[in-house]
Amino acid sequence: MNALAEHRRWLTAWILRLSIALCLISIVAGLALFLIHGGTLQPANPSGSLVDILDGALHRGEALHAGAFLVAGLLVLLLTPVTRLLAGIYISARARDWVYVLIGLVVVGLVIAGLLLGQAGS
Amino acid sequence: MTPLLTVLVVLLGGVVAGIIGSLTGLGGGLVIVPLLTLGLHMPVPEAVGVSLFGVIATSTGAAPRFVGTGLSNVRVGLFLQMAASSGALLGALISHRVPAHFLFLIFGAAMLYSAVMSFIPTASDVAGAPVNSPLAGRLRLASRYEQDGRWVEYRVAGVVPAFCIMIGAGFLSALLGIGSGVFKVLAMDKLMRLPFRVSTATSNFMIGMTAATSAGYYLSHGDIPPLTAGAVILGVILGAYAGGHWMKRLSTRMLRRVFAVVLSLVALEMLLKGFGA
Repeated sequence: MNALAEHRRWLTAWILRLSIALCLISIVAGLALFLIHGGTLQPANPSGSLVDILDGALHRGEALHAGAFLVAGLLVLLLTPVTRLLAGIYISARARDWVYVLIGLVVVGLVIAGLLLGQAGS
Repeated sequence: MTPLLTVLVVLLGGVVAGIIGSLTGLGGGLVIVPLLTLGLHMPVPEAVGVSLFGVIATSTGAAPRFVGTGLSNVRVGLFLQMAASSGALLGALISHRVPAHFLFLIFGAAMLYSAVMSFIPTASDVAGAPVNSPLAGRLRLASRYEQDGRWVEYRVAGVVPAFCIMIGAGFLSALLGIGSGVFKVLAMDKLMRLPFRVSTATSNFMIGMTAATSAGYYLSHGDIPPLTAGAVILGVILGAYAGGHWMKRLSTRMLRRVFAVVLSLVALEMLLKGFGA
């Protein structure tokens, strides 16, 4: 296995492990807080841009409550495939594989378009 | 139903989906969406959005076992992903305009198709593609994977038809909250003539990315209840972990067939709901 392929393997494995761990910690913390608060708190559905979603979870009385942790877990999970893709684009750029850099950027663009179009329709 | 009971039911449903997904290869969305819509009467867009987060969790949880084996063909996955993500975006865009009964009909049909496919042997075209198609050659899609300590090389055909199928797979994934793995594997195995193990690993790589495209839409649109989604994600990851441990002890072929029968019954329920019965 060449050095670049080994770098790709290491980076991908590291991203996947870290993301799953962060996502699980956030969600378990959110569900635990939900139980501590008596199992009645219903966090509101987040909406808008990523900044709005984070801001809503942190600054609308939900700080340290279930909603903030649950939304953080959702965002980590949502961004995991994107982060993996960005790592792939970085490796392709290092290999001067510009066709796949372009293809990767188109796919990232489609994910961003999904977020923007959902926000526009909310 | 109280929020606490809802969380417990959804968590349990997620565990079941994770176990079935890891043992049979059939996606968790086929369990989650009927549970949330038929069982908990959740609006279809919310159920679909939540299920897509379960799909990302399944894909991310399974991904480490493919890393470094060469089984996942990243070039094929990335190229086809442009089609799958475009289809997913289109599906998400029209999701709120499609009547619920019509979605139940499509979902029931997709479930029945998955159930039928469970009874058909998945033996692949062992010979593979004899030569690369011109486009596969230009994109350098041919690759190799490790099997029993040696590297097996393969060539790639049928890129354009597979690309078209991926648009449909992405569309269905976004509209129904499923991974559409069965359609992706079929296109790569039968049209591109990739080795079956490469098709399944590459499909897993693509499923998470496709689901992320439409899940982002549903999240920013305000369709994701964090409590339900959190319970599904936790359940799916726990279930997949348990399923991975049981895999060696259980007959997955038999389990796949039993699940296919259950799937058929739920599919009929979905179709009846779609027809307004």
